[in-house]
Amino acid sequence: MVSSLTLWAVIVIVGVLNYLSRLSFIAIFARRSMPPMLARALKYVPAAMLTALVLPMVVSAPSLPSLVSPRVIAALLAGVVGFVTRNTLATVAAGMGTLWLLQAVMH
Amino acid sequence: MRQIIASADFREGFAEMLPACVGLIPFGLVTGVGAATAGADFFAALGMSAIIFSGAAQILASQLLAEGAPLAVVVLTCFVAGLRFLMYSAAMAPYLKPLPARWQNALAFLLTDQAFAASIRRFDAKQDPHGGALHFLGGGLALWGCWQVTNIVGFLVGNLVPASWSLDFAVPLCFIALIAPVLRTAPAIVAAAIAGFAVFALAGLPMKLNLIAAGIIGIVAGTLYDFARERWSAR
Repeated sequence: MVSSLTLWAVIVIVGVLNYLSRLSFIAIFARRSMPPMLARALKYVPAAMLTALVLPMVVSAPSLPSLVSPRVIAALLAGVVGFVTRNTLATVAAGMGTLWLLQAVMH
Repeated sequence: MRQIIASADFREGFAEMLPACVGLIPFGLVTGVGAATAGADFFAALGMSAIIFSGAAQILASQLLAEGAPLAVVVLTCFVAGLRFLMYSAAMAPYLKPLPARWQNALAFLLTDQAFAASIRRFDAKQDPHGGALHFLGGGLALWGCWQVTNIVGFLVGNLVPASWSLDFAVPLCFIALIAPVLRTAPAIVAAAIAGFAVFALAGLPMKLNLIAAGIIGIVAGTLYDFARERWSAR
């Protein structure tokens, strides 16, 4: 269990940093334009950061046997649905539906 | 305040955001469940959703804290994941420039992936900064309210759902819903692939540092590829 002091420290610090990121070019650097190099790098933050976050949740280890699991198959299918529809609800529904179906079949 | 809420622009922004709010329900629920798993009490869970107001940062914080990562690593990882807000902030800045500072400060707090998309559309459609700001405020508050409700419901009922439902799997699915639509350009695919490879290659790093290291390596790889592609096509 996390101590409540640590948790509140995280809430306040991450909350302030997130707010400063949101406020950055609107108010703090309002007179400057974003450096082109930074603008380009920021475009790839979601793809890189979120992939690094998601893969370990889906694949337990990068070995061949662990790649053929209901979760990996469901995640891949959800990825296709997300790519085509750009819809969160449809993506989550496709992934959960596939997982439940595969788990039912395998039992 | 009553004047703001009564305005047609505010109501329009609020109503237009409702479909996006429905789409966010699973994400809000799993974020609330995450807070419960990390051992947050009711007020800390509410604090996370009300103050941090970012699903990715909240889930990252919950997971890293539950795994015992030190405060500095939690904060740094959440900060890098939140860097995309710089991009939104820069794109939004010209539209908010004519507004008073307190409007800028308030709207910046409500800047999220969904509010950004809806507001930019509106600002571009009509040359009316004040109406656009009211529209942004309506949509942003709809999202913020929906986020609090779904987070708290997730926090309160998440642990009652039987484990056989595999509800934890909805967490990666919510992120996949954010990643899949952006994988439309070669540099974005390179950034994701390299980050995905690196997160396993660096799994031996202590304190879950592999997450942030892989994220940064992926960002650098995507950016370099972008530059290389430009150079190559300019020839």
